[in-house]
Amino acid sequence: MSELMERLSSDFLPKFLAGMAVNFEIAAIALVIGLALGLLLAAGRLAGGVLTAITVSIISLMRAAPTFVIMFFLLNAIPRDATLFGVPFALSGVMTVALSLVPYSAAYVADAGVDSIGHLRAGATHGALLFLPNVTRAFFVLVMSSSAGAAIGVTEGISVILRQAEQLPDFGDRLVLFAIGILLFGIPLQAGFILMSLFQRRFGRSTVEEEASA
Amino acid sequence: MTPHLVGMTGVLFRATAFMALFAGLVLAAVPVRAETPDVALAELLKQARAKVPQDCTQPNIDRLVKILCAKKIRFGIRDYYPLFATRTGDKREGYEVDVAQAIGRMLGVDVEFVRVNAATRIPLLAEDRIDVAIATMGHNTQRDGQARFIRPHYYRSETTVVGPRELPVASMLDLPGRTICVTVGNGSNAELVSQGARLMLFDEAGVLPDRLKDNTCTLAAQDDSFFAKYFTDDDFNARYFQKFGFAQVPWGMAVARTGSAELARALDLVSQVFHRDGLFVDIGRLHSVRLGFLRQQQEVWRKPECNTDTGTTNPNCVLPPLNAALQPTSFAPEVTAFERWVDARTDIDIALPMLKTAPAWSLFKDGVAYSLILIAGALAATLAFALVLGAAMGARSFLLRWPARLVTMTLQSSPIVLTLVIAATIAHSLFALSTETVIGAAIVALGLANGSNAGQAIGEAMWSLRAEGVHGGLFGRALSRAATQIVAFLINASKGTPIASFIGAPELLSSLTDITSFSSGRVTTYTILLIFYTAVVMGVVWLCGKLKRVLEQRQVAA
Repeated sequence: MSELMERLSSDFLPKFLAGMAVNFEIAAIALVIGLALGLLLAAGRLAGGVLTAITVSIISLMRAAPTFVIMFFLLNAIPRDATLFGVPFALSGVMTVALSLVPYSAAYVADAGVDSIGHLRAGATHGALLFLPNVTRAFFVLVMSSSAGAAIGVTEGISVILRQAEQLPDFGDRLVLFAIGILLFGIPLQAGFILMSLFQRRFGRSTVEEEASA
Repeated sequence: MTPHLVGMTGVLFRATAFMALFAGLVLAAVPVRAETPDVALAELLKQARAKVPQDCTQPNIDRLVKILCAKKIRFGIRDYYPLFATRTGDKREGYEVDVAQAIGRMLGVDVEFVRVNAATRIPLLAEDRIDVAIATMGHNTQRDGQARFIRPHYYRSETTVVGPRELPVASMLDLPGRTICVTVGNGSNAELVSQGARLMLFDEAGVLPDRLKDNTCTLAAQDDSFFAKYFTDDDFNARYFQKFGFAQVPWGMAVARTGSAELARALDLVSQVFHRDGLFVDIGRLHSVRLGFLRQQQEVWRKPECNTDTGTTNPNCVLPPLNAALQPTSFAPEVTAFERWVDARTDIDIALPMLKTAPAWSLFKDGVAYSLILIAGALAATLAFALVLGAAMGARSFLLRWPARLVTMTLQSSPIVLTLVIAATIAHSLFALSTETVIGAAIVALGLANGSNAGQAIGEAMWSLRAEGVHGGLFGRALSRAATQIVAFLINASKGTPIASFIGAPELLSSLTDITSFSSGRVTTYTILLIFYTAVVMGVVWLCGKLKRVLEQRQVAA
């Protein structure tokens, strides 16, 4: 283990942490855009008539489209010199990954949004607030999914680990490095899930009480 | 004069005539010492100059005469290709610049440079906006139909694989499973793909050194002529090394296919003389380009059999063009007709490269088949791991429960890309590298990642049923209760299968990336890919919906 530590480049940890920050950045961008789009879709789904049918179809397509394929589609379909209303529209690697996650986040937000609006209409405010832990769950899923950026050269956490692993000749050392990566990704993830569970438990109880009294 | 003398004179005359005839026949049968390229060039230029100025206004004169009339030759050249042609303000430098100047001096005319790039160098010839293209252009069979290449070639490049000095890569055998950064459309990409390398595509070669420096790329493949300049930088040279080279391609000057026969012949002879006299070597040395090919060519063109006016047509002297033509499929003409039909009716420019050449078609078919195998395998593995881990997590014995929980927590904490890489690393250490190994590793990784989550739902359902006092048929009822979660993770597994391309699984994303690396039509190709996977996942959603209904009906019945 100490030999592995010697072999790890001195700037591995700072690079890894900077890489993880990129994972969080990608997830945040995907979630913000997903929230805007998802809430619109949720409103469309509850509007009734043709609009509902169209929105349901769009959400189904968004759920089915694989993130990894969307990422490669965006990477290859948008020319480097593309413009939007005269403004250069070339996507950076980070934005490409973030946009590829938007269909998932928007579809998720739309589903959670419909549930929340249902709770609100039933007068269950706390039930509606469960939207927040659900969105937090989606955020952590997005953080993990953003590692797909490694495939297109985005320097996020997993890319840093894989580059370091390529420099290690020993199979055992590589596995230990991967375990370190899982641990470093797992700590914020599990902490987030624990916080979310506590929040859900608190509001879950409140919701039951609220709905019982309604 | 006596009759005897007359007779002797007649005999002598006849003998002399016979000998002259014999000598003539011998000379006709055995080639005389061949004319040198210098003499042939001088004669050609003399004939062309004889047409100046009276033919200068004629419409169909050869470009050589036009050049002599204008006293100027127009070279299409690159603005930025380090060591070969660069421009700073009005000043141009590089190997190609000096070769063009030397040709101008040889013809006795001024030289004018016109900026070209990879896309414009041949069209500008056809449009008569340049006389000669000398612009880092590889001579291949495909381009032979578009321009007349000058032979002998003035340089030869090869694709070189560059990476950090400490990285243990020495040959093609070390490439399987590694990612290499390349530029789209590079002719050598197909060979890298065939060796099992994964490609990361970039539009411009100029970004590759930076991507190596910021560690985005571990390896990069590009013409050695491109990297030559970077290796003159001490810092770059200290960190990186040319691991190996392959796919050698001769570079040729080119002229238009029509109206340039005499110009082409003159340049052939000039090039021949430059090689023989070592001028190419001298100019190359001046600009620090690699001299191996130029020295070898100097030896060739000094040989008596090559140093003739017909040397440029002697296959023992000139190099053939690189054979870049890919075998077309039997239905390629129909595909082309379909593309034109769509374009004419909808104004949508589609390209279906995967259907037009045999290697691309083969990759495409294999990609579809492997994708379907991968999806079926991932679904089966997800279900299997869900059942096993679910049963363990729902068990009363903590010896079963806690290891299963630990595995699940670990898998939940590992991004799927990392899980796949770990699975591939372990598989490679246990088995020989093969398509089956990679597909197997991907199926196990996807199954574990999704099956652990679904298993957790089953385990939780078992505990909740126990809490409700249910004891008989607990596992079956738990499956019914966790139906929504099981189905969600089955769908997730099928959606995740394209990520397997990251570890080299030859599924459709991987195949189409390979196809677009050596052909055009990226937008259409990736649109087809998106439609394929979305349709397949929607099919899986439909099937899973049926499974969910079955499980839920069982719950209602129970």
